[in-house]
Amino acid sequence: MTSSSPLQAHYFDGQSAKAHPVTLHLDAQHLHIVGEGIRTSVARTDVQWPERTRFGIRAAHLRQGGKVQCADAAAWDQWLSSHGQRDSMLVRLQQSWRAVAASALVLVALCTAMYLWGLPLAARVVVALIPHSVDAAIGEVALQSIDEHLMTPSQLPLAEQNRLQTAFTQSVAAMPAGSLPEWRLVFRKSKIGPNALALPGGTMILTDELVQLVEGDAQVITGVLAHELGHVQHRHGMRMVVQASVMGAVASMVLGDFSTMLAAVPVLMGQAHYSRAAEQEADAHAVQVLKAAGISPLVMVKLFTQLHALRATPEETSTPANQDDTTPSEGVLGTAFASHPSDAQRIAYFTSQAR
Amino acid sequence: MHTDSQREPALDNAAPASVAPPRSHKLMVEFTGSGSEYFRIWIVNLLLVMLTLGLYFPWAKVRRLRYFAGNTLIDGEPMDFHGDPKKMFKGYVLVAILFGLYNYASNVSATAGLVALLVVAGLWPALFKSSMQFRLANTSWRGLRLRFMGDLAGAYKAMLPIFIPSIVSLFVLVLLGDDQMQTPPMWAGIALGGTMLSFILVAPWLLWNLKNYQHQHYAIGTLQTQFRAKARAFYWITLKIIGVALLTTGVVTAVVFALFSNSDMLFAKVQSIALGVGLGMLVTSMVIKPYAITLMQNLVWTQTGNSSLRFISQLKARALVLLTLKNWLLMALTLGLYWPFALVATTRLRLEAITVKTRNHPDTLVAQEKSKEGDAAGDAAGDFFGLDVGL
Repeated sequence: MTSSSPLQAHYFDGQSAKAHPVTLHLDAQHLHIVGEGIRTSVARTDVQWPERTRFGIRAAHLRQGGKVQCADAAAWDQWLSSHGQRDSMLVRLQQSWRAVAASALVLVALCTAMYLWGLPLAARVVVALIPHSVDAAIGEVALQSIDEHLMTPSQLPLAEQNRLQTAFTQSVAAMPAGSLPEWRLVFRKSKIGPNALALPGGTMILTDELVQLVEGDAQVITGVLAHELGHVQHRHGMRMVVQASVMGAVASMVLGDFSTMLAAVPVLMGQAHYSRAAEQEADAHAVQVLKAAGISPLVMVKLFTQLHALRATPEETSTPANQDDTTPSEGVLGTAFASHPSDAQRIAYFTSQAR
Repeated sequence: MHTDSQREPALDNAAPASVAPPRSHKLMVEFTGSGSEYFRIWIVNLLLVMLTLGLYFPWAKVRRLRYFAGNTLIDGEPMDFHGDPKKMFKGYVLVAILFGLYNYASNVSATAGLVALLVVAGLWPALFKSSMQFRLANTSWRGLRLRFMGDLAGAYKAMLPIFIPSIVSLFVLVLLGDDQMQTPPMWAGIALGGTMLSFILVAPWLLWNLKNYQHQHYAIGTLQTQFRAKARAFYWITLKIIGVALLTTGVVTAVVFALFSNSDMLFAKVQSIALGVGLGMLVTSMVIKPYAITLMQNLVWTQTGNSSLRFISQLKARALVLLTLKNWLLMALTLGLYWPFALVATTRLRLEAITVKTRNHPDTLVAQEKSKEGDAAGDAAGDFFGLDVGL
């Protein structure tokens, strides 16, 4: 083929809607458009060539306005390629099913990597930039709302409260100085069963029900509080917020056009995953504190055994309906909205750490 | 050669424009996009957006819009999208900064958040107009750019129904501001309740205002559209949609209740309520939404036109509902990979339901003036704040 081989096409001048039959000639520098009363040349760089697709009409936009168009896609593609016009990288990628499949795999791998490592890392970095005063302010608001809806003042004797607080203070004193965040312990009577919570900013809530469950065993309570202190230390609450909002943004970009409801599903699943990871991190912190204080991590096994027994006989407790019976591992210990590893996994973990 | 029977007489044998007789031409709308083709564009777009941490988004959007415009044939002639991704990128940066400031302000204090909200709400009509202008000016048919003729004052006027109750309720809240501890006086309760009620009552009117503003100002060549739908038609279809919604959720609730009523465990009851709510939401997205889209598209487009140009939309609710159900099923089975196919199929159904009747032969259309391009920031704002420019 020579550079003079022409193509039959239509030309729209951008001024009127009329289609002019023309022939197109391409040389190294210019596109020449020739028809009845039409003789115009456009620099090749001023032509916005269409992406090659399998179907459809080819239309190239001209910078000066107007376009040339050809309904015969095959003829157009042949004409262009015979003039050395190469497809862009992008077009070659999306024209090949193999490349598309590879792209899809890379995409999945990328999303998985982001999900497993990228996002937690990014959340750590972002949270490190947020001043601690923000945590404290959020924690204050959360405590107020918990006091309004979920809890009432503690009915434990003051001496008992002091005994537990002192035991925990002495235990954490064994940790290296400066390795622990600021914390404050408050006691509450719970409307949602035995529980312990850590709020952003370092306030930990211990419920009377939990103390009664472990029969006031100060060592178990120390383990529980060390776990909660782990949440505070790693600022899990704040990290969750960052992770959830990034995931929400990505999910709504991918699926939001289709359905915002569907876009919420991966966010919820992701949150549960991150929450389990956070629980494991907090458990590891608990082991660290317990060991430093010379307490065996096995005390935590006692807690989980008791909790397990409690759930086995749900009728005897006054657990209200918001405790979802199908997933008994949820909502009993830990941060307010968390999902946890199973009791068996955690018992196995603390047992192995005790060796 | 593209096989299209309408195409031949309309274009290829086109006689000189001056002798076109003043009879009516029926221009068919055809969508030639293919799910498998768009799937590949979509995957590559997503990959590049991910790899560039989102920076590629405007380019991806332009490629998507070009594909959809290029495959929308009116009378056998494709539309074109000309948006410049670089300009759109700047728009996104601008709007991202605005969005960031807005988020930051609402974190700093309630008052700052309120001020930011007022600023964004005050800018909203301007962004809306700008976004319409950008979209239309960058879309062409037969080489002629479309235009959006609406002005700024019109955009603010169109949104007036939402501004008045907002300002009243804001005023009441500010008056109450200082003594929040004591129970609010009677007049405040009445005023707030009244504005809440008026929000609901003006919603169809607001929608009519917006559609009226949009559909009166579309133009190509010398032709500008008019909008003949009345506000009461919007109230009527709102009632119809509410009726269908009540009916379907009623049926779903009854079925769920019948299935679980013989179980007296508290937990089963809680579960059945949760199941009912979930199913209700699913039914809303799968049945009521396509039904509402159908009614709205048919009403709005059939009432758009002028003395020599008219749109007719004959979308069937049944067809769109069935397609939506099929899309949901396949989306679930393919974990979302069906999305590009679903989008193409829905676009085809909705676009091909439209025909254009015109007395002028399309060849006689002549560009009027260089159309104003508007601002890419408006278009970006549409994506950020969920402002739907729509069909």
